[in-house]
This record gives sequence, structure tokens and C-alpha cells, in this order.
Amino acid sequence: MTDFKSISKMKEIMTEYYVEAKTTKEKPIAWLTSGAPVDFVNAMDIIPVYPENYAAMCAASHQSVELMEIAEKEGFSQDICAYARTDFGADISQGGPIQGLPKPDMLIASTNICKTVTKWYQVIARKYNVPLFVVDTPFLHDGMTNELVNYTMTQFKDLENFLADFTKRPFAHERLEEIIMLGLEASSYWKKMLSLGKTIPSPFNSLDTFIHLAPIVVLRGTQKCVDYYKMLYEEVAEFAEKKIGSIPDEKYRVLWDNLPIWFKMRRNSEFFEEKKCSLVAATYSNSWGGLDAFELDTKDPYRGLAQSYLGAYINIGFEDRIRYLSKLINEFSLTGFIMHSNRSCKPYSVGMYRLQEEVSKLTGKPGVVIEADQNDPRVYSDAQVETRLEAFIESMESVN
Amino acid sequence: MFDQFHNVISNVSETISTYEDQLGKPVIGVMPAYFPMELIDAAGGYPVQLWGNNMPLQMADTYLQSYCCTVARSVLELEMKGGANMVKAYAFTSICDTLINLREIYRRLFDKPTFELAIPSTQTAQARRKYLKDIVDSVTNGLENVTGKKITQKSLKEASEIYARSRELHRKLYDIRQTKPGLIKNYDFYAALKAGFFLPRTEHNDMLQSLIQKLEELAAPTSNRPKILMSGMVFDPIQTYKIFDEIDVHIVDDDFANGWRTASKSEFNYEDIYEGVTEYIFNPSPCCCVYNPDIDRHDYLLKKVKSSGAQGVIFWYVKFCEPDAFDQPQLIAKLKQEGIPATTIEIELSMTNFDSVKTRINAFCEMLEE
Ligand code: SF4
Ligand code: SF4
Repeated sequence: MTDFKSISKMKEIMTEYYVEAKTTKEKPIAWLTSGAPVDFVNAMDIIPVYPENYAAMCAASHQSVELMEIAEKEGFSQDICAYARTDFGADISQGGPIQGLPKPDMLIASTNICKTVTKWYQVIARKYNVPLFVVDTPFLHDGMTNELVNYTMTQFKDLENFLADFTKRPFAHERLEEIIMLGLEASSYWKKMLSLGKTIPSPFNSLDTFIHLAPIVVLRGTQKCVDYYKMLYEEVAEFAEKKIGSIPDEKYRVLWDNLPIWFKMRRNSEFFEEKKCSLVAATYSNSWGGLDAFELDTKDPYRGLAQSYLGAYINIGFEDRIRYLSKLINEFSLTGFIMHSNRSCKPYSVGMYRLQEEVSKLTGKPGVVIEADQNDPRVYSDAQVETRLEAFIESMESVN
Repeated sequence: MFDQFHNVISNVSETISTYEDQLGKPVIGVMPAYFPMELIDAAGGYPVQLWGNNMPLQMADTYLQSYCCTVARSVLELEMKGGANMVKAYAFTSICDTLINLREIYRRLFDKPTFELAIPSTQTAQARRKYLKDIVDSVTNGLENVTGKKITQKSLKEASEIYARSRELHRKLYDIRQTKPGLIKNYDFYAALKAGFFLPRTEHNDMLQSLIQKLEELAAPTSNRPKILMSGMVFDPIQTYKIFDEIDVHIVDDDFANGWRTASKSEFNYEDIYEGVTEYIFNPSPCCCVYNPDIDRHDYLLKKVKSSGAQGVIFWYVKFCEPDAFDQPQLIAKLKQEGIPATTIEIELSMTNFDSVKTRINAFCEMLEE
């Protein structure tokens, strides 16, 4: 992974954020899914907390197995998403890097990442007896339609009422607009930063972006977040200008599809570096207002917001996924692509073998599917994955 | 009494082909769950329900990873192997992540039209209604394009009456099973239900009607064998009910998506198709796959267990079915709290060896007898 100075800034703001969430006495806590419209929550001065982010932290610090085992002992099947299992375990035992998340006062889930989260959040709602608000963002089988955008916008209005009822304060519309603008500003830096991956050699790699995306998920809508991504962008832009590559002698440039394998970040990074293979684009990192699959309406912030929540890569039909992947492959001068068939994450993975076939055919670039899991090392084999990756890397033509 | 039902389920393709010729209607494959069959019938289609099958999985594995449930994998296998040639189009709902993506796979692999009744997961009734209106319109258009016929008030009324009668007959059969435990063998009961997935509804109605007449005349056998309730997405593999019969336990009620959850639906409101669909999906029995904040599944299941007289509950879990897996631990804890033993038995539709299932069933039933 690349040594960016910004990483210490990121650690600082993330720590501040978790300290506030863990210690607050007066502000309510909302647990949110990563694709939920947090803007509304921020507008009402409620602290958003992200179980997915915490689960990833647990895995990256190699604590996910013990936590999942605790959840499994309570009867949660190994078949359910490992994020959910990790969090259930952390919640039961108050374990993990910060000894569990602060208790929720409310839950907000959006279906744009998966239907699984509605199940997961129902379990939590029952456990803590707190209200759950589901923002339904149906799967875009046939692209972005007006009906779907209107449906989502109607629910935004309902969410405002829900939050106003909960806090017993009128909904803060003006504040919301500021927050949306701050969110847009941060994601535009994020987007500009991700676009720098088009530089040959790439000044960062996607493993970096997996780490650096934490603030855009959890702090979106704050000035801190804007400042951070401005700083990151400027630093990466300098690397790009000086043609400093994230790995020495970049030979191959590939896309990574699906979540990272959180418990293998270091090993993966060393593996790819040794093979001179740079991961330069990732659908996952692009998901937070990064490189969108659809044009968004920027004149009407509500509409634009609905579109961006609906249009998450994982929520779109295969025709659009194929088009989008091919576009990235061309724009980033990629030599191939890697698809992580993630046992935990069906919406991201089911159908992947077909996508791989079609995208390869369309772009003429080799692709590979590897079987792994974002959080559960027990269903992962280094040997199997690396053998497949080696064969794939050998099949690519080098970039120059 | 049950031979003709068994006959249908051991000759599924022949049955469908025969009726396809006889009716001259396009066969529409209906995926799990809660696609109102009335709509297909009213549009002049012949709905056939695909809740998975027990084919060995060979071709489907090219496109569906081993961590997908065998319901999805086996329906794909059927199409890929050419076993679903008579199916002209597929009707989906959006009950889980796997099926949502499966529809996309179908659209890439096959030329057959597919339509999806997207089930809203919102608590706001107004948003739900408005959205469903758009969805229903697109689904009925899709159907009408395949059949070449329009859904009319009249055709919807007729279809709705046929299915209302069907579900009423189903409920009668459930009632007989519960009030006369042991009269209907478990294997026979589910064969009677399963035959209905493939037969034209009027045909199945007549068969059920005469069956019920016969059963009503018979007295309940005396038995003090354990009584249980089963819950899950699908009741298959059907052969497993022979195990229940062998050890002579009575399944007195169920909460299967393709069992009671569907049989319990009331008459489809043909005067307002949107209301009709909404009611159909959300009421009265809750499902792990349908987000409905108005019904508490815990209270519902508890009541059901108590009123059925079941002494224990088996969660019949199709491996890799996440929606079902999420609900179980809390449900089991709740049942146990109320003194009702409950357990999970994992099944796969492709399984050919039932030894471990048998051991699990045995162990649970023996525990009930203690
Ligand atoms: S990893 Fe996939 S299944 Fe799990 S919460 Fe995220 S999107 Fe949903
Ligand atoms: S069994 Fe579960 S996972 Fe499989 S298709 Fe049905 S609802 Fe989906």
C-alpha cells in the first residue's frame, strides 16, 4: 500500500468520530447501512454509526473469527453475511477494536446494497426494541426510471417526518441542504482522486482506496470530511504529476470488483506488488459518490440524492454493470479485471461468472473470478486464490 | 386416495405438456414466492410453480456459486438442461438477493421474457401503494405481451374465484390434518399440495374437493404420537415426509412459503387490482422475505403453534437461504422461552442421502416424547 501522509489525518478524524460516538451523552445514535441516506440523520444532529464499517475494522484487525464464533454459538448460521455475524458477535460480547458500538436509538437501513440488511436490522431492532426505518431503493433491472426516483423521494419525506417525530423537533431543511452540498463536495474530491488512477503509472492502488474510503462513508456531510478528501486529493495529484507509481514498475493494471478481503489486505498488497500488478479501479470504492454509473440531476438536490442512492453499482442490472465495467476498463487503460466472488455478499456476487464472460468478450481483456469472503478467513484459502491470480496475471498483456 | 396426486408429481413434464396442449395456453414459470397466480390466469396463461427440484446440479454451477440455495440452483439447472422447454416466460418476485440476481442471469442467458413483481420494503403505506401501481402495470403488460390477451375485469374476476376456491380447499385440507391428526399421512399431504404447482387450478380444485369429501367421512385415528409444526421457505424434498411417516409423528400445521403462507391468502380483490396485489403480498401470514412492520412474526408463530396443538417446531432450513437464517435464532429463543422446543434442520433440494436429516428428525421427536 502506498505511503500517503494523509493516512495519519484519517486515523485522527476517525478516532475523533468514534470517541464522540462512544462517549456522547446527549446526542442520539443511529445505526445505518453504508448506503442509507445519512444526510437526513446528520441534519438532525444524530450521530450515525456504521456496523459495516465496524465489521470491516474487526476483520482488518484479525478479530472477526472470534466474534463470528460468538454469533454462531447464538444460532446465527454461517450462511449469513459475515459482516452481520461479526457485528452480532461484537454486540453480544462488546468486543472488537473499540469494544463494540454504542447502543442504537434508531436504525436506518436502505435496500440499495442488499435485502440482507433489512433482515440484519430487524434482528437489531428486536434486540434493542428501537425503531427501524427502511428506505426502499429497489433494484434497477431496467436502469434509472422516474417511478423509482419518485418512490425514493417520497420515502425521503417520510424519513424526515420520522426523524422529526423521534427528536420532537421540526425537520431541519436548511441544514439538510448544507449537508448535501458538503457531501457533494467531499465526493467530488473523492471522485477526482479516483480518476487519478487513469495516470500511468497509477499513483495509488485500490487497496489504498479501501482504507481511505472510511471517512466518505461515516463522515460524509461534514467539513472535516471535505478537508480530508481535499488533502488526500492534493497529495495523490502530486504523486501523479511526478509520475510516482504506487508500485514500482507497474506492468499490469487491473480492476477489482466487490468488497476487499479485509483480513488479507497486507498479504494481497505484497502479492500484487511482487507481480507488478496495480489495482487501479474498484467498483466498491466508486460506490460512494465516486464514479457513478448514471448521470445525476444536479439541479434538484433531492432528486440527485435519490438517484445517487438508487444508482449504487451493486443495485443495478447486469446490462448496466457490463457497460460500466467496460467503460472503466477502457478509461483506466486496464489490462484485465478481478472479480471477487464473495460468499458473504450475494447481491454483489451472484451472476458474476456471467458478467466476467461478457465483459471479457466485450473488452477483449482477461478477467478472473476468485472465491473468497470479505470477513471470514475460515472459508478462504491463500493457495487456491493465489494460484488462480497467478495464472490470470500471466494471461494479461503488459501495459507497455 | 392420493394416488393421482403422487402420479402428477412423479410425471411433472408429462402433466404440464398434456394440459398445455389441452388448454392451448402459454406456460408461465412462476418463481418463489407470492406472485399472484390470478394475474397469469386472467391474462390467459397457464402458471406452473417452480419451487426448485431434485435434479443433480451440473450445468447450473457454471453460473450460480455453491453458496446459493438449491432452490435457485435447481430451477436454473432445469432451464439449462432443457427441462423447462414448455415454459414460455418467467414470473419473478424480489423476495431475496439471490432471486433478484437470478432474474438478471436469465435475461443474459435465455431469450424467454421475464417479469418481476418487485415487493416494496417500505413501511410507508402511501409510497408502497403508489410504487406497486407502477409495478403491477409493468407486470401485467409483460404478461399480456406473452399471452396476447388482455386482463379484463371479467377475466380477473373469474381467475380470482378459481383461486379463492383453491385456497379455501387448501385450508380445509389443513384443517382436517389438524383436527384429525394421523388421518392424512405427511407424505400424502404434501404430495396433494405439490401436485397443485403443476396442474391447472380447476383440475386441482376438483381433485382436492373429492379428496376432502372422502376425508370428511373418515374418523380420526386414535393416536398419541408427537405433533409438530414446520416452518421454512419450501416443504421439499418431499421424500423426507416418508421419514416423518415412518416414525409416525404428525405435522399438524406449517408455516411454509409454499404451504400455509400461500394457502392463507384471502380472495384476490379483483375490483382493485393494486389493492388485490398489496393484500396478497402482505397478508395475512408474515414471511421472512417480506418486510412488513405491521405484523410481528414472533407473535404470529407463537399463536399458530398454540392453536395447532403442536408440541414442537422444526425450522426446515434450505441451506444458504439468508432471509430465513436471520429470523431463526430469535424465533427459536422466543419459542423456547414459552416452553416450546424448536430446532433447525438443514436441507438441500439436491440431497440424495437423507440419513442425517433422519437422525435429526428422530432426535427431535424422541425428545418430544420424553
Ligand atoms: S457485504 Fe453484501 S450482503 Fe453483507 S451487508 Fe454488505 S451488501 Fe449486504
Ligand atoms: S430459498 Fe431463500 S434464498 Fe433461496 S430463493 Fe428462496 S428465499 Fe431466496
